[in-house]
Amino acid sequence: MKDLLPLSLRVNGERHDLLIRPWRTLLEVLRENLGLTGAKRSCQEGQCGACTVLIDGKPVNSCLYLAIEAQDKEILTIEGLGRGDAGLHPIQKSFAEKGAVQCGFCTAGLILTTKALLDENPNPSEDEVRNGIVGHLCRCTGYFQIVEAVLDAAREMRSEGRR
Amino acid sequence: MSYNLRLPRFEYLAPSTAAEVCSLLAENTGEARLLAGGTDLILQMRRREIKPRFVIGLKGIRELAFIREQADGGLAIGGMTTIQDLLTSPVIVEKYSVLSQTAAGMGSREIRQLATLGGNLAGALPCADFPPALITLGAKVKLQSRQGERLFPVEDFFTGCGQTIAGPAELLTEIQIPSLPSRSGGAYLKFHDRHSMDMTTTGVSAFVIWDETNRVLLDVRIALASSAPVPLRARKAEASLRGRAFSGEALEEAALLACEEADPRTSWRATRDFRRELLKTLTKRSLQAAWEKAVSSPNGGKS
Repeated sequence: MKDLLPLSLRVNGERHDLLIRPWRTLLEVLRENLGLTGAKRSCQEGQCGACTVLIDGKPVNSCLYLAIEAQDKEILTIEGLGRGDAGLHPIQKSFAEKGAVQCGFCTAGLILTTKALLDENPNPSEDEVRNGIVGHLCRCTGYFQIVEAVLDAAREMRSEGRR
Repeated sequence: MSYNLRLPRFEYLAPSTAAEVCSLLAENTGEARLLAGGTDLILQMRRREIKPRFVIGLKGIRELAFIREQADGGLAIGGMTTIQDLLTSPVIVEKYSVLSQTAAGMGSREIRQLATLGGNLAGALPCADFPPALITLGAKVKLQSRQGERLFPVEDFFTGCGQTIAGPAELLTEIQIPSLPSRSGGAYLKFHDRHSMDMTTTGVSAFVIWDETNRVLLDVRIALASSAPVPLRARKAEASLRGRAFSGEALEEAALLACEEADPRTSWRATRDFRRELLKTLTKRSLQAAWEKAVSSPNGGKS
């Protein structure tokens, strides 16, 4: 049995050359090999959305994705959004300002899904927002503020012309 | 069940063509499992329901991800087409809206990005949403092996819960949907907890061809999800409607027949009786929605 396979992973614009076992999920490799603990391990079955990352700009549950299948893909985790001189991304700012973060466990996944949603649809209706984040559970019951934050971020990004 | 379990060990194989997949399946008969979107398979492995020696990854096989209009007016969809691709495909939204409607009701954005049409069929779960819709459209599945290709109506594809007629060395490569007659329409409606995120408690797809001249139902097809170990065609209900005018009474009668034909089970999700109640309501609503589409589509089929 071939245990260790070479994997070249592009995460947040940086390339990582790894040797990994094929049964490890992308979530495990991000957290345990790369120390990127923004994506959370929670339900492990695609129900809660806490492990969401963007693969080639699209949101996926990284607990359901084999790391080996992320070869040659562009991965964005919350650590890669809004850093350096530019400061927080408008979505992160809106989440903070609108009180959409309570315990924070669902926040990284929600913000990444929001980014994908707004990239595809810069001016979503409230229904479209609620439908877009249906795969995310927030146990602090903060959905009202979260929806408000997403709509606010959308307005902000449209006025800045930033995607 | 521990939710923190890692996946069991396996050897990962990454072919790049459908022909290579067929060779790998033939060489490792019974020991290999195909990994499409993984939204079912990864969970089954994590729960140790299956422990395959080989996992054959299909995500890299570009030739299996397509939505193609055919010369005869029908549509061919590759097995690795994702549910999100079905939801956003202009041709599907335009001509086969029952399929985009079905896709819209499935899982979250994140799940739809991974889950595939081939996986929804090959997994053969009684609660799968696409089989009923495809059955009412008269769709076929294409299976490929080293011996060649076989084509079956979707209706004949399922043999039991999690079981299909596909052999261990066969790969589901394509779904073919015929062109639709004018004045036709299809719908799929389901009941489930937590919007889109739970398994389907009960689902009903209806397809209707409307005879505008005589103002009767020319043809009707009804298929049910989560109502038997396999997706079920409600033939008696269909027969009761053929040649009949569209009326509340006709719907009521068909819905009761569909309930009789169904053999739903009691599970923690819902009792047998509750599923029958759902079936009655969903059959009527689904027929109504399909009929409304049919009468409003003068220039060709629009399911």
